[in-house]
Amino acid sequence: MNERVLLVEDDASIREVTSLGLEQAGFRVTQVGDGREAIVQFHHAPFDLVILDVMLPSLDGYEVCRQLRRESRVPILMVSAKGDPVDVIVGLELGADDYVRKPFELHELVARARAAVRRAAEAPDEPVLVRGDLEIDPGAFAARKGGEELPLTATEFKLLLELARRPGQVFTRELLLERVWSYEYLGDSRLVDVAVQRLRAKVEDDPKEPKLVQTVRGVGYRFAASS
Amino acid sequence: MPERAIRPGRLRRRLTLAFTLAAGLSAAALAAGSYVLVREARLSDSVDRALEQSTFNLVLANDLLADGTGPDQTDELLAAYERRGAFEVVGRTGKRTFSSSLSVRMRQVPDDLRGLVQRGDLAYERVDVAGARYLVVGGRVADADTELYYLFSEDRLFDELVQLRNILLGGVAALLLLGALAGMLLARRTLRPVARASAAAHSLAEGLLETRLPVESADEFGAWAASFNEMADALEAKIAALSEAQARERRFTADVAHELRTPLTALVAEASLLADHLERMPPEARRPAELLVQDVARLRDLVEDLMEISRIDAGQARVRRERVDLAALVPALVRSRRWDGRVRVAGDETVVETDPRRVERIVGNLVGNALEHGVGDVEVRVAQDPAGALVEVSDQGHGIPPEELPRIFDRFYKGDPARAGPGSGLGLAIALENARLLGGDLHVESDFGRGSRFTLRLPVTKPLPHGEPAVATDDEDRERPDQGGTP
Repeated sequence: MNERVLLVEDDASIREVTSLGLEQAGFRVTQVGDGREAIVQFHHAPFDLVILDVMLPSLDGYEVCRQLRRESRVPILMVSAKGDPVDVIVGLELGADDYVRKPFELHELVARARAAVRRAAEAPDEPVLVRGDLEIDPGAFAARKGGEELPLTATEFKLLLELARRPGQVFTRELLLERVWSYEYLGDSRLVDVAVQRLRAKVEDDPKEPKLVQTVRGVGYRFAASS
Repeated sequence: MPERAIRPGRLRRRLTLAFTLAAGLSAAALAAGSYVLVREARLSDSVDRALEQSTFNLVLANDLLADGTGPDQTDELLAAYERRGAFEVVGRTGKRTFSSSLSVRMRQVPDDLRGLVQRGDLAYERVDVAGARYLVVGGRVADADTELYYLFSEDRLFDELVQLRNILLGGVAALLLLGALAGMLLARRTLRPVARASAAAHSLAEGLLETRLPVESADEFGAWAASFNEMADALEAKIAALSEAQARERRFTADVAHELRTPLTALVAEASLLADHLERMPPEARRPAELLVQDVARLRDLVEDLMEISRIDAGQARVRRERVDLAALVPALVRSRRWDGRVRVAGDETVVETDPRRVERIVGNLVGNALEHGVGDVEVRVAQDPAGALVEVSDQGHGIPPEELPRIFDRFYKGDPARAGPGSGLGLAIALENARLLGGDLHVESDFGRGSRFTLRLPVTKPLPHGEPAVATDDEDRERPDQGGTP
């Protein structure tokens, strides 16, 4: 344990109690009160996880998420106080791995923080998978297409690996939530949909006409059977 | 509609009829009056002229018959009369009768007239001779035991009277028709503002608050239209003010809920941290801490419910439809809420195109409500009928008193305080709003003392038949294996 968490939250009370909860769960927490400071801190030291509130002074959570994603694959957990679920989707599309709605139970936040860190850290001991011109190296946590490294986040990588292990098999959203995010009943199936979109954007030749990660309408997704 | 039949044409018909009757009756009275007057005048005129001529004729007869009353004298008299023309003569002198024409005979002269003449009077009477009308004037030539009767034809007079009558009747009929027509037009014209006002009131009732009547005339209808418009103005202003107030109230609710969220988030996190350490607390602090944790959870539920309902009120609630099997969704929900032991679910596969999160919210609220108020098990039945899909949640609780049923979906309505549970009071209202958002509806039936049944109805939007290219990605997915097979 002792993973390092960057906690970005502008409300002092929430920041303090969240930090307390995370520390009791074994995280090392760095507290930050606004967006700009978050970017500075992130450059200052390495982190295993960023917990990011959406409504922040100076630079909002979306913008922070966008900037972090440009340079890092660090797991990002968004915390949204906004009522509209669309805000959540925006965060996910910008590259967040997961989200928690305010108000949250500390257990839930801790569980999601742990799952996100685990996704990024556990390198499965598996041989390299080759699917067409796609190479997936579980040990190195890296995927290459035509020899070029794909900039996948840990969650996207896990999702790709999960699907590519069994080409042709259909995965329901619930199954993917359980396997990739390690949630049961906790998750929102939109996490899967948004992650698949992001994965397609990086993996497919034409993300609008996906050939590798296919939709099975009304059921879920599958990786194309080998051609 | 059965209690009073409204027939819009009735007043118009009545007005038309009244107008027609008035026009017709006055025309008829006028016609009848003038006919009678003309008839009397013409008839007495005819009598006057006949009497005058007869008097002269008698004087002539007196002269001619002064020397005797033989056939020669009477022939001479008849010849003299013939020259005067325009009447027939029949006469008697002694036992002998004579006449100017074969068609007239003494027996055609009525006896009562002859009686009068024999007494020496100049008398007249109207008679029919073989279909022809005559005015018979009789007189006596006093010195020569002779009666003379002059027959003046009145056929033309009566023909003219018949003609006059026919013309008058025709005129009355024409006036009647004209009156009916004018009455109809007039009634329609008069009642048009009424019809227009009726349509305007109807469209006001339909919610078109900007409806106004044209003020066309400076009469009672004009005044009426003006005051109708005044009323509509007032109504529109009032409703605008009301909905403005309602919108303000809703915004306020949304703002309050939103502002509560930040301190509430801290509270919830703090309470959950506190809950982890309850065992290690000194006994006197432990119970209050337990209560604090519970109450924070209640506060959280309330604020969440308020947020949700204000989102729906503001029209910000979004529906994300996908294919959902209700018979799979409901058991999964029951399991995830750990209600397995107390809730039985039955039903076959029922696939609908709907937002699963909202269905979960509705069914969750209904089952939670049933568990809270019911005794014993709760039963959930998923089914499909021609009208759509339905989810029934039945409990065997106390039921709901009939007088409370209509208010059961009201916000913050909790019924009998003695039976009020720990809920926010918004659960059923939220369930109903969500059901409507999904195009469905929510109903309750209750047998007081025995239990209640809530029925959620959802429309089944038919999924596209398989094999039809609905979405580009779908198409791609199906084509893929073929492409792989033909490199």
